[in-house]
Amino acid sequence: MHHAHIDKFAYQDSPVHRLDSRVKFIVVLVFTALVISLPRTSVSILACYAVGPFAILVLAGIPLRFVFKHILLVSPFVLILALSCPLYDKTPVSVAFGPFLWNTSVGWMRCFTILGKFTVTMLALIALISTTRFNDLLTGLQRLGLPRLLVIQLGFLYRYIFVLIDRAHRILRARAGRRLRRLKFRAELQIAASMLGSLFIRSIDAAEHINIAMQARGFDGNWRTLSKLQIRRCDLFFLLAAVVFMLGIYFFVKPILL
Amino acid sequence: MPKAIEIENFTYKYPDGTSALSDITLSIEAGARLVLIGPNGAGKSTLLLAMAGFVKGTGKVLVDGLEINRGNLKKIRSRLGCCLENPDDQLFMPTLFDDVAFGPLNMGLEAEQVKARVAEALQTVGLAELGDKAPHHLSAGQKRAAAIATIISMSPKIITLDEPDGSLDPRNRDNLVKLLKDLPQTLIIATCNMNFAAALADRAVLLDKGRIIAGGDAKEIMSDSKLMAEHGLEVPHKTE
Repeated sequence: MHHAHIDKFAYQDSPVHRLDSRVKFIVVLVFTALVISLPRTSVSILACYAVGPFAILVLAGIPLRFVFKHILLVSPFVLILALSCPLYDKTPVSVAFGPFLWNTSVGWMRCFTILGKFTVTMLALIALISTTRFNDLLTGLQRLGLPRLLVIQLGFLYRYIFVLIDRAHRILRARAGRRLRRLKFRAELQIAASMLGSLFIRSIDAAEHINIAMQARGFDGNWRTLSKLQIRRCDLFFLLAAVVFMLGIYFFVKPILL
Repeated sequence: MPKAIEIENFTYKYPDGTSALSDITLSIEAGARLVLIGPNGAGKSTLLLAMAGFVKGTGKVLVDGLEINRGNLKKIRSRLGCCLENPDDQLFMPTLFDDVAFGPLNMGLEAEQVKARVAEALQTVGLAELGDKAPHHLSAGQKRAAAIATIISMSPKIITLDEPDGSLDPRNRDNLVKLLKDLPQTLIIATCNMNFAAALADRAVLLDKGRIIAGGDAKEIMSDSKLMAEHGLEVPHKTE
């Protein structure tokens, strides 16, 4: 089956793709922390921050349609949170942007800030995932000190989540093919439970086979890979540029609240 | 002729008491291309697992002269490569390169040797350009070839393959036959597909209900229409 992989552009080649995964990860982590820590009056600062990941995405040749489609896909949860803000905080506030001045409420300010922070951090995250192969990211995380067991778990999650989704789709299709009449809620629930049980048993079965495949190739509990990561001059230059960009905005761009 | 596999009176029961393999005695010469044929549930896969030491029963199993026991397992698994039925179980690493490198790295080889083995194995199965691909981006035929590459890279003397032709279209099946024919190792293949078996094997062992029914020349056994029909099998279209 075909899956819409979020990392489908990670196998392209561009100057951004060639950067070391550790450097990209650290930059995105610091960037995200900075964006999240901004006060609610910082819509203008957020707009400036957005330029960074946006430029990276353009430079890496990632289609913006793909980026915004994925932001929209995960937006409903944040939308609910953001749109509830104007309902419970109606304190009036004045906002200035250049020569323009208008009155609004703190709730609306908070709503726009949440949406802004979400969009900007998602841009950064998609920029990281779309320009870094997952395996390189895992190797980078391991080199940065993430526990090996967690790295292995993440590797298996990435490898088998699509296999699991495929199995679930097949079970649902088999169910749909034999669903000739509408059943009561309780009966539907029973069928759903047995479908989940079947998926669970198959997953355990697959896990046993994977364990056999690993042992057959000499696995003794120690995870060995050939790491291909190397920090080069261009990585250091990217790190420096990112630090200058983030600190520049942090110190020189002012919030818009009066 | 040295023996690749020697099994004497091997019996195995599932934990619920159901008999899986009964009194199996089998000797496979080094360099042989042997097919284990039989209907579904005959015990073919279990026998392959027993050869790799994953199934512990009563009796004796020797791989390349080494008896399977706890102390020998690592040596045995570097001499016998075991390729499972579902390539998705065999390919568990994030990229094909890492999957093929997994075995050689566990054998303690140096990085350069590992890279050379991976390159050679991928070249052999015709996937030299796809090392950086994630396994879920490969087609069914490519996954099957990749699963074989994960074994070849360990340079084992013996390779066992469980239903390697499953879910392959005729072109991919032909490619697989060509690939397996060119491998120098002793091949032990479990299959229900008699045409596939006939295209590859010089020896055949017919299993049913956990017992060996017949063993010997592949053409002879597979052309015995009465024997094949009795055990739910068919005579291959061509027994060249």
